Amino acid sequence: MRISDRRFALYLMTPAALFLAVFVAYPLFRLVADSFFKISPIAGGPRDFVGFQNYVTAFTSEAFTSAGWRTLGYTVVVVALEFTLGLGMALLFTALGKKSQIWRTVFLYPLMIAPIVAGLLWKFLMIDNFGLIGTLLHQAGILSDPNQIGWLSDPNIVLFSVAIPDIWLTTSFMCLVLFAGLQNIPGDLLEAARLDGARAPALLFRIILPLLRPVIAVALVVRGIDAARAFDTILIQTNGGPQSASETMSLLIYRTMIRFGDPGLASAMGTIYLIAMLAIAFVAVATIWRPGKDN
Amino acid sequence: MSTASITTKAGPPPSSASPSQPVLRRRGVNREGLEAGRRSTRTILWILLAVAMVLYGFPFLYLLFTSFKTPIDTIAVPPTILPREWTLENYTSALGRSGVVASFINSIQTAVISTLLSLVLAVPAAYGITRYKTPSGRVFIMAALVTRMVPPVAIGIPLASMMSSAGLADTPIALSIAHTTISLPLSIWLMSSFFESVPRDLEEAATVDGCSRLGALWRVVIPVVSGGIAVTAIFAFLASWNEFLFALLMTAIRSQTTPVVIANFQTQFGLDWGSMTALAAVYSIPVILLTLLLQRKIVAGMTLGAVKG
Repeated sequence: MRISDRRFALYLMTPAALFLAVFVAYPLFRLVADSFFKISPIAGGPRDFVGFQNYVTAFTSEAFTSAGWRTLGYTVVVVALEFTLGLGMALLFTALGKKSQIWRTVFLYPLMIAPIVAGLLWKFLMIDNFGLIGTLLHQAGILSDPNQIGWLSDPNIVLFSVAIPDIWLTTSFMCLVLFAGLQNIPGDLLEAARLDGARAPALLFRIILPLLRPVIAVALVVRGIDAARAFDTILIQTNGGPQSASETMSLLIYRTMIRFGDPGLASAMGTIYLIAMLAIAFVAVATIWRPGKDN
Repeated sequence: MSTASITTKAGPPPSSASPSQPVLRRRGVNREGLEAGRRSTRTILWILLAVAMVLYGFPFLYLLFTSFKTPIDTIAVPPTILPREWTLENYTSALGRSGVVASFINSIQTAVISTLLSLVLAVPAAYGITRYKTPSGRVFIMAALVTRMVPPVAIGIPLASMMSSAGLADTPIALSIAHTTISLPLSIWLMSSFFESVPRDLEEAATVDGCSRLGALWRVVIPVVSGGIAVTAIFAFLASWNEFLFALLMTAIRSQTTPVVIANFQTQFGLDWGSMTALAAVYSIPVILLTLLLQRKIVAGMTLGAVKG
């Protein structure tokens, strides 16, 4: 007996759908449910319904609001730098053409490295006293003292420093995506613009970037979501310090849960964080991508 | 930026003549025929690329060099780039620590189980989505995309408590299920793109010849997309191999993976930079080599995954 195509398709999708329902949707449901309870961190401990109390606590806590701003700042810095560097490299590879192919692959190597390892190796480069970057800048005569810049110990710049491994890891990704997009720009169009006397900046801003818009949108949204969830690199470099100056949302939620033993409050924070991410991602997709117009 | 920087791979090399001169589509001109101006631009661009590659490659090279230093030299002030004395001391001490070799086995086990699980679930699902284009399929792929946005820290704790109530606490199975929540949406997305490129006639011919739909999928379509499956497998493997947060939340002693062990070096053993760099190198090099070997496929997969996803 032959089942309909529609039903056959449904059967094919069912196992994956069930998996995601059990291991993603259900934990999310638990997260939201937990956010309305005051939960003892000890397994089997008391659980009291407190309504929106955890949300009130989250929104009125200075740690939460500043972690929110820090996450936003971190994401903007990471994505903006990555995009600029990635676009530069993509243009360079495009200019060099086929012969640069092997280097394009080599350029991808950080994508294979675990974020924890990346965080570790940049910490080692930036750490006070025996960090290489301070020493090299000192030897080059730029700094008067190798420890003049406390990359990971100065609360004013630490958020920027902890972003470096993330930028290093994924500039390759930006470059790859933008390079693929660049290959699809019709040569005739550039030729025509050049014959009309367009200079390089005009070519870049008037032709290349507008044509790359859908690709740029996808790349920025994908990377923005990842950067906003950054955890490994920051945890290993500073553990959120000094004085919480690099404590982003993931770290705060983790610490609220594990160190301060308040799963209810952590769940409320997690719920707000998730809703904010979804909202921002949808707005970003709607405004930059403009589906239907470019596709 | 020079004119050369906007050559496209498919298009002709840009003309170096002045903009006022008409008709300068020089298809097939070989590089020897080009004037000095253009060649010098290329030279400058190559130098620029060399500088960028050195800067980009340096952090990892420094990690490698450091791993060959003596433990005292690793934290010498001022630091040197190259080891003053090359030694394997850090490697022997890192690998000799209890739990380090076991963590490698755990990492491999977890990543392999998670990869297989992702493929087994994603391949049929992606085929169902792309081949039959039902409304439920469209809803499903959107839902899979949304799960990409879920912060792991948000579901990590409920997931961990689910696993312990199922009696799976601190096992590679539990961790690989958690990792599959990350790799499955990505795998579905990638596999959908690969199935999209398979002509429908292929299965139609097979079903006319008496194959069932499942038989056509298994015997005709899957062999055609085997390259795509390999790419998807690599991504699923990497996602698990490099994952840290779930591993931190869900493993204790028995099933700890290497990223957690590397992070623990900071607290458990004081700051042993030498061993840490050695372990990090041992953990990263196999996957970097794998990538370089399979470069074409990986680049294709990444571009597909990114442009589509």
